[in-house]
Amino acid sequence: MSSDDIIGSDATLNSDQQRTFVAILDMIIPASDDGRFPSAADMDVLGYIAKTDHQLLDTVRNELDRLNAVSEDLYGVAFGDAGETHRQGLLDGIRGAEPQFLGGLALQTVTLYYQDDRVMEAIGMEARPPFPKGFEVVAGDLSLLDPVRARGQIYRDVED
Amino acid sequence: MTDEVVDVLIIGAGASGAAVAWSLAETKMQILCLEQGGWMDPSEYASTKRDWEVLQGTDFAISPNFRDRAADYPINDDESPIAVANFNAVGGSTILYSAHFPRMHPSDFKVRSLDGVADDWPIDYQTLEPFFAENDRNIGVSGLAGDPAYPYHEPPLPPVPLGLMGETMGRGFNKLGWHWWPSDTAIITEPYEGREQCVNLGPCNAGCAKGAKSSADITYWPIALRQGVALKTDCRVREITVDEHDMATGAIYFDADGVEHHQRAEVVIMACNGVGTPRLLLNSTSPNFPNGLANRSGLVGKNLMFHPWGHVGGVFDQPLASHFGPQGSCMLSQEFYETDPNRDFVRGYNMQITRGGGPVSTARNGVAQGKIPWGIGHHEAFDKHYDRAINLGLCCEDLPEEHNAVTLDPELTDSNGIPAPKVTYTLSENSRKMLDHGLEKGTEVMKAAGAWDIQTHAPMRMAGWHLLGTARMGKDASRSVVNEWGRSHDVRNLFIVDGSVFVTSGGVNPTTTIQAVALYIADSMKRNLENLFD
Repeated sequence: MSSDDIIGSDATLNSDQQRTFVAILDMIIPASDDGRFPSAADMDVLGYIAKTDHQLLDTVRNELDRLNAVSEDLYGVAFGDAGETHRQGLLDGIRGAEPQFLGGLALQTVTLYYQDDRVMEAIGMEARPPFPKGFEVVAGDLSLLDPVRARGQIYRDVED
Repeated sequence: MTDEVVDVLIIGAGASGAAVAWSLAETKMQILCLEQGGWMDPSEYASTKRDWEVLQGTDFAISPNFRDRAADYPINDDESPIAVANFNAVGGSTILYSAHFPRMHPSDFKVRSLDGVADDWPIDYQTLEPFFAENDRNIGVSGLAGDPAYPYHEPPLPPVPLGLMGETMGRGFNKLGWHWWPSDTAIITEPYEGREQCVNLGPCNAGCAKGAKSSADITYWPIALRQGVALKTDCRVREITVDEHDMATGAIYFDADGVEHHQRAEVVIMACNGVGTPRLLLNSTSPNFPNGLANRSGLVGKNLMFHPWGHVGGVFDQPLASHFGPQGSCMLSQEFYETDPNRDFVRGYNMQITRGGGPVSTARNGVAQGKIPWGIGHHEAFDKHYDRAINLGLCCEDLPEEHNAVTLDPELTDSNGIPAPKVTYTLSENSRKMLDHGLEKGTEVMKAAGAWDIQTHAPMRMAGWHLLGTARMGKDASRSVVNEWGRSHDVRNLFIVDGSVFVTSGGVNPTTTIQAVALYIADSMKRNLENLFD
């Protein structure tokens, strides 16, 4: 393992992959302009994938390598070092032809993202499991059933 | 190893096995139940964890093939558009059920007489009504009396909350002049029999940590055990044994250590539902029953019925707090339940209104469907979907067809080497037309309720919750497996009490009817104890 390898749980990326990985996460879910929502790049997505969907790691590495290779060909730098406009254009091009490209990474990213305390708070949820506190739900207006009652029986009578 | 003989041996501790054990306990017979799973620990249920939405699709996935717990057995459902869902533990699939608890209708028991299809049941709604009511009281069922889609009955507890989403849908149904009603639900909404009421955790179908959902492990079993019924967990039955006089003699099973036992019994009761029961019977071959036990009719495993399931999802402008509350239970519509000769299909379906998804499932589904984009528009799009979704499930009556079947897989086995079940199923033309009709009507009511985004899908693959018909009930031994009170035509001390005995499926979630049938069969056994084997 070289000194610039990045360790996330038991997952590793080389430095080019890592810079591209961070760039991609920020393109999947960027921070909101008002600062309420963090960027997905602020979260340990790699460690989460290593824990929950280890087989996806190789796919992600291959996809990152492909992005870097195409970016090197077009712009002479790895994807993570390219300008924002170039990155977006390159990504849109590949995903336009292959909608599933980086799809697994995106699903795991949103899965982790929407369990994060900061995100929970931003969407108005307490950062806790449902149990034991539970939630309040309004009973609802049962007078809405008046027209249903007024219509009367709708099941079929059955003769013995 | 041969175990001491018992009076009654029940195979399976789920919805029906628990109800039968409870009912027979008063006889003071020596009763033993063998269950291949163990007791669940509610503190481990999904709702106790931050990653509860993830756990719904992993540790508590509805398919045993994905879940792959030690108690599970694999099911080959490659030749079916609908995958089997179940759970193996004390309580069976009630651990994961949504507790949506509508009864079958009177007409459901008379489909041949009324509509000229399938067969009539040998029993009717009136016969089962006392047992529906008894079951409601025993486990704690909530609901609102007076539903005009049913003969009058009074659930013992008030209904689960409609919430803003229920009101929204109710107004939509009212605009169209269609029936709707708060669901009968096996969830207690007030303290009941020592259990605390529902606090709207949400993911009922990944186990109820509160104990408010009336699963069989916390309702029937504690009482049955106190009354002397014995329950052995982690015991997987391989076959039912039979003597030369065509009488069942017990069951061969493996304990948790893999040690083989022969449990002898005077009476054997099968309660493994529509896949597990035929699997065991077909695996119980002997010189007198070369094609499987109790199978002289050739119908064991045949006539498998699911409920083909359609989904209509709607997204609304206003926040609805829609992912709070019992996930699978809110309200139903039976506007299209009964046969209408003006339609191009017979029989009908139930519309089950269920709650919206939590944050993770909203994001995952939205991203996967392209409705919530990557990039700068992500947050705004998420906000437009989250907390504003309502789901509508179409539970379509599935008519029996012999080619839809459970057989034994020639190669696949469970961890004890017992052949796995194989499901072969084709969606019928009638079901396809019913689903199409339901998707159209579901879309119509979503629009009437104000949804701005509507998605439809049918049939849903991961929706084989209801497993029915594979050891059907009837008076004609050549056309059925058990008689009108659940006793095998071929083996006079073998009873079947689960969804296998259903002659037709109705168009509603079957657990309340399964438990009513089980209580009815147990009551019949008690009334016929003197001449049980005649």
